[in-house]
Amino acid sequence: MNNIGILHSALNASSLRQQVISNNIANAETPGYNSKHVVFEDILKQQLSNQTNFVGKRTDPRHVVIGKSGAIPMAQTVENSDTVMQNNGNNVDIDNEMTQMGNNSLWYYTLTQQLTSQFNQLSISIKGRS
Amino acid sequence: MFDSLNISASALTAGRLRMDVSSSNIANASTTRGKFVNGVWEPYRRKMVVMEPREKSFNQVLQGELQKQTGSNPAMQGVRVTGIIEDQTPFKTVYDPTNPDANADGYVMMPNVDLSKEMVDMLAASRSYEANVTAFNSGKSMMLKALEIGR
Repeated sequence: MNNIGILHSALNASSLRQQVISNNIANAETPGYNSKHVVFEDILKQQLSNQTNFVGKRTDPRHVVIGKSGAIPMAQTVENSDTVMQNNGNNVDIDNEMTQMGNNSLWYYTLTQQLTSQFNQLSISIKGRS
Repeated sequence: MFDSLNISASALTAGRLRMDVSSSNIANASTTRGKFVNGVWEPYRRKMVVMEPREKSFNQVLQGELQKQTGSNPAMQGVRVTGIIEDQTPFKTVYDPTNPDANADGYVMMPNVDLSKEMVDMLAASRSYEANVTAFNSGKSMMLKALEIGR
């Protein structure tokens, strides 16, 4: 599995997370709204630690899965429905959302830096340091 | 691609409308002639904004599924205002016989606007507007950072 592929899907997950957090903040006072969050790192960790050597090649998503491939998982959105923050059934914790947003954008910056250094390494191996 | 900005923008629009409605309530806090009903003037009624989460239309979801874009495409598009409703709480009655709208006993019906409630609503709208601006800026700087990949 290549690093650039992993970084790409992590960037996608981070971008999705920003979208979800924006949506939560936008609906911070909408009655009956349930906040959402994105799960990615845990799924990725599980997928990476459960790889098997014997994997059936799938050329179509409808094929039967044989073995556990190291394919990079997709980020998933999960709705939080077990907490209550306001009387109107809304459970957006605005402080938590703002913190998560700061976290997430720093994380995104980190990932872009990583990706840049991956590309720089490739460039060095192609052209040498000049 | 610009979904996160669009989501914040929808919330900014809704926040501005809330602010407008609140301003209208404060401006009309003592308007005794709001509506002409059956030959009688009725005072201004306090207005409130109703909001709901905006979700993708059936067509958008179907198109997304057909093209099978990047994984789980969340069906969220921010917030939208479904309507402005009127507060049905009873009007305040004030004794003021010199007022042109006073009834035979000298009482005037005043709007059901509570100034302190309006100020609180306005502060809440203003703070949520700020939170959405922060979210917008954060999303924007993430996108700018993505443009720097490979430099």
